[in-house]
Amino acid sequence: MLLESFDYLKPQSLTEALEVLDQLKDEQVRVLAGGTDLIPRLRSQAEHVRYVVDLAACGLDQVTFHDDHASIGALTTFATLCRTRGIQEHFPAIIEASAQIGAVQCRTLATIGGNLCSAVPSLDSAPALLVLDAQFCLQAKHGERLVRAEEFFLAPRRTILEPGEIMTHILVPMREDFSASFLRIGRRKALTLAIVNAAAGVTIGDDGSITEVRVALGAVAPTPIRAHKAEHILHGRKITQELIAEAADVAVTETAPISDLRASADYRRKITAVLVRRALGNAIAQSIRVGR
Amino acid sequence: MKKNVTLQVNGRMYPLEIDVKDLLLQTIREQIGLTGTKEGCGTGECGACTVLIDGEPVNACLYFTVRAEGKDILTIEGMRNGAMLHPLQEAFATTAALQCGFCGPGVLLSAKALLDRHPNPTEQQIREGIAGNICRCTGYTKMVEAIQTAAVMLREDEVRS
Repeated sequence: MLLESFDYLKPQSLTEALEVLDQLKDEQVRVLAGGTDLIPRLRSQAEHVRYVVDLAACGLDQVTFHDDHASIGALTTFATLCRTRGIQEHFPAIIEASAQIGAVQCRTLATIGGNLCSAVPSLDSAPALLVLDAQFCLQAKHGERLVRAEEFFLAPRRTILEPGEIMTHILVPMREDFSASFLRIGRRKALTLAIVNAAAGVTIGDDGSITEVRVALGAVAPTPIRAHKAEHILHGRKITQELIAEAADVAVTETAPISDLRASADYRRKITAVLVRRALGNAIAQSIRVGR
Repeated sequence: MKKNVTLQVNGRMYPLEIDVKDLLLQTIREQIGLTGTKEGCGTGECGACTVLIDGEPVNACLYFTVRAEGKDILTIEGMRNGAMLHPLQEAFATTAALQCGFCGPGVLLSAKALLDRHPNPTEQQIREGIAGNICRCTGYTKMVEAIQTAAVMLREDEVRS
């Protein structure tokens, strides 16, 4: 048979799941969200597990909207996100990312929490969430903590999640005055990891200057990153082509890309500048369009 | 770890003893014996194993069988209505939209899921709808044509009924 044997557990509530995961803390255990990352890894024996804990019955697949933030259950699939009206209205950058992940079949299964917890450098859901200043709710049997998206990733396939701890929700601030955009470049339009992905978000003041800005990049460093130096250059300045070009060039200096089968490091640097320019341009255009 | 499950495939119930590590693709082909669902890459990149679960396209190679209990699974064998081919199958045949045919079951099911949701899709929507199905023969042009033709047939059926 294709996969190595494991025990399969399907807790019927989040409380039960956290209890089970606490008991199995010292075992080879993986939680199952969409399975689109886990199953190929088990199949290629990149990973070995003794227990698979299926989170499908834990009620973590709801998207809810509150006064100042949206709460996205970690098991919400990208197909569901793409069809959720509130996400379409408030977070076009999340839609732009969700709609480009894998292809239709993959988006039916793959979840935003699973994507984030895979912590691959090219993961498409991270840049938009970094720019939107999202927080991740992490829960274990003995407690809950909220971490900023930026603090979550440690290295390729490594996050700050402790044994027994899972991501339950993604909290995204709802800001009428902040516009964000996401872009990616891959070898094809579907079914391919990003060579580079990027997101940018801005608030533009009444005098036309940038009062708040965040830029995030993926696939150009061991983890998704913020381009803080580029943000610093943009902050408080009036928007010009030259300013955006300068920020894009500075963003490149904040990356540490590798050469792999998808692209060379040099190509990634060149594309980084292009995507930062375009993402900023899109975010600014969006901001002006909605009269923010 | 063994488990007894009952799967609903193409409207028929199949009580089965499975292992929790079995993938739906294996179960459909090897236990149920429906070999229209193909294995290509086995890693969710080619779409040859596409089936519909509760109407949504899924790669059966990325899906644990144990999760399929209580769901409505449609494979290519369940697409036609008795002796009548589904309009998509009809249109693929008359348009000559398949050559070797290996990707066909997956493409047809992706196209069905698309038309169920968008009865009048744009070419762009069609291309996105089958973007998860790799075909190495046709270049996709005739597939897009066939799906457009089937969409018209289905809308006309809708008007008549």
